[in-house]
Amino acid sequence: MRTTRWWLWLIATLVAVASAPVHAAPDPGALLRAIEDNLRGGSGRATVTLTVARPDRQTEYVLAIWTDGQDRSLVLVKAPARDAGQAFLRVADNLWIYNPRIKRTLRLPPGGRGDSFLGSDISHSDLSGRDAERDYTPRVVRDDATAVVLELTPRPGAPTPSGKVLLTAAPRTFAPLEWVFYDQRGQAVKRITFSTHTKLGERAFPTRTVVEDLTRPGYRTTAVYTDIRFGTPVPDACFTLRALEQGCE
Amino acid sequence: MTGTRVTLFRLAWRNIWRHRRRTVLLILAVAYAAFASVFFWGLNDGIIASVLTSQARFSSAPVLVTTTAYRDDPDPAHALPDLAVAVAVRRLPQVRATAPRLEFPALLRSAYTAQSVAARGVLPAEESAVSAVPAHVVAGRMIRGPGELVLGRGLAERLDVRVGERAVLDTASLAGPQAAGLVVVGLVATPSPAVNDGAVLLHLDDARRLTGVATATGIAVDVPRGTEDTAARAIQRILPDGLHASGLSELLGPLKAGLDARRASSIPIAVIFAVVAAAAVTSTAVVSVIERTREFGMIAAVGLAPARLARMVVLEVACTTAIGWAIGLAAGYAALIPLSRVNALGRLFGAVTASFGFPEELYAAVHPVYALYATMTILVAVLLAMAFPARRVRRLQPAAAMRME
Repeated sequence: MRTTRWWLWLIATLVAVASAPVHAAPDPGALLRAIEDNLRGGSGRATVTLTVARPDRQTEYVLAIWTDGQDRSLVLVKAPARDAGQAFLRVADNLWIYNPRIKRTLRLPPGGRGDSFLGSDISHSDLSGRDAERDYTPRVVRDDATAVVLELTPRPGAPTPSGKVLLTAAPRTFAPLEWVFYDQRGQAVKRITFSTHTKLGERAFPTRTVVEDLTRPGYRTTAVYTDIRFGTPVPDACFTLRALEQGCE
Repeated sequence: MTGTRVTLFRLAWRNIWRHRRRTVLLILAVAYAAFASVFFWGLNDGIIASVLTSQARFSSAPVLVTTTAYRDDPDPAHALPDLAVAVAVRRLPQVRATAPRLEFPALLRSAYTAQSVAARGVLPAEESAVSAVPAHVVAGRMIRGPGELVLGRGLAERLDVRVGERAVLDTASLAGPQAAGLVVVGLVATPSPAVNDGAVLLHLDDARRLTGVATATGIAVDVPRGTEDTAARAIQRILPDGLHASGLSELLGPLKAGLDARRASSIPIAVIFAVVAAAAVTSTAVVSVIERTREFGMIAAVGLAPARLARMVVLEVACTTAIGWAIGLAAGYAALIPLSRVNALGRLFGAVTASFGFPEELYAAVHPVYALYATMTILVAVLLAMAFPARRVRRLQPAAAMRME
């Protein structure tokens, strides 16, 4: 009788261990996708107040943005008066700019995605697109109750001169908190800090973004999103060259 | 009459060797003038040709086969329809090697800045046969396969990108906007500042992927130095309609025009030099006549008419300068011919001339026209040498001449 009980206990223990839930290793690709989903907010429109700070001056722009949440976006400059009317259209890798003074639409070179937007510390890639998923291979550095940290390294042949990107997000919600860009010599060159997250359906969208140029003290750009209307489809007509001149209301 | 002329000639010839030292001095003066004239032009033309040839091997090609449309508008959209023509070109006896190239405008970005460049897609093994750039890698190595980049050292410094780091090449052509991150594997430094500040070499496969061009924009052809234009004409004869072979004159037209202008500006220098050389010859001849006034007085006293005496003096000068001219020409060409085949000048002066943008290989040029230049110089000298002493001798008063010290 004792021998039988002993065997039963052993079988029960083995069954309990076998059926215990296994903690799956987090999928870095899925984590990155989730973070980018929060960052892009999905399709819709918003108003952005862009403050470009320099050691000797500060400039403020008011922008209207339409996006499909993927790789198409339209940005119209509403203020200040001297820049009002300028418009930027991005469709995949193509980038156009409309200048109301000369009433001409110019196509920027392919590398224009990485160029500074309106002289700020933000690039066109920072405003829209999902370049991180396409150009980088993610690796989970940390995933615990306090933060999720991903290290992104450029894929072979990826069109980025960065050495790596360290991405910090909130656990569970994967709301983006901080992105730090490093050059190929290990020096941090740019930091983007996200805050004041707002719930948009399933997404935790950061309504305040601060971009700092770490190589030049005093260079900072702040983008504050207001009048957010995400989760609504944007007509395809908003992502055409005509929309550059005529808008998308 | 003929007998008189022969007698005069024999008299003149004998007189020449009676005054051996004087004769040798005059011969040396004439020989030096002829030698220097030949050597000056051979060196001048040789340096110009060396600069052109060198530039062709660094920035362009000895001969380049492209479509006619590409020659007029160097856009990747005007690429070659296929590369079959390279096989026919290689069969020509003067062609040593061929290599396909795909050249396109692009934006090269580093982590810090960006610059417009003219990128060149090549096949590494074949490119070495038509270009001197692969032999001038000063850091890292030449590209071996796709995904790699070689930059001019000046360009890399401006972009602040080092060997082993990635740079991004952006372009927009038949394939639409394309970009690629390529690893810099080597830096080149050449005597050509344009190459140092702008060279971007990548593998032909990468260039094709970025531009959407399946073939190449041109075929670079290697031919012996100095035969580029001739070879281009020979290649043109076998090319189908729509293709064009460009030699140095076309590929480096602006540079050649500038160098030709420089050559033209050498003419005043050469003229001054020739005048000085002619003056040296003339003065030597005049002095030799003045010193023989007493001798001429005695010859006139024994019955040789002044006119024939003058003719004899002219014959003396003519014979002496002819000998000097021949020696000078022979010496000049004897110096030029080995310098046209061996890079002695480049080795001797390379360290100095490189700082002025001169090529590492400097060869002299050899051309029959230099003999004409030397002859013109000597001719001027001889005419002057004949005119003054002959006049002096014609007016000679035998009695007064014999009394001169």
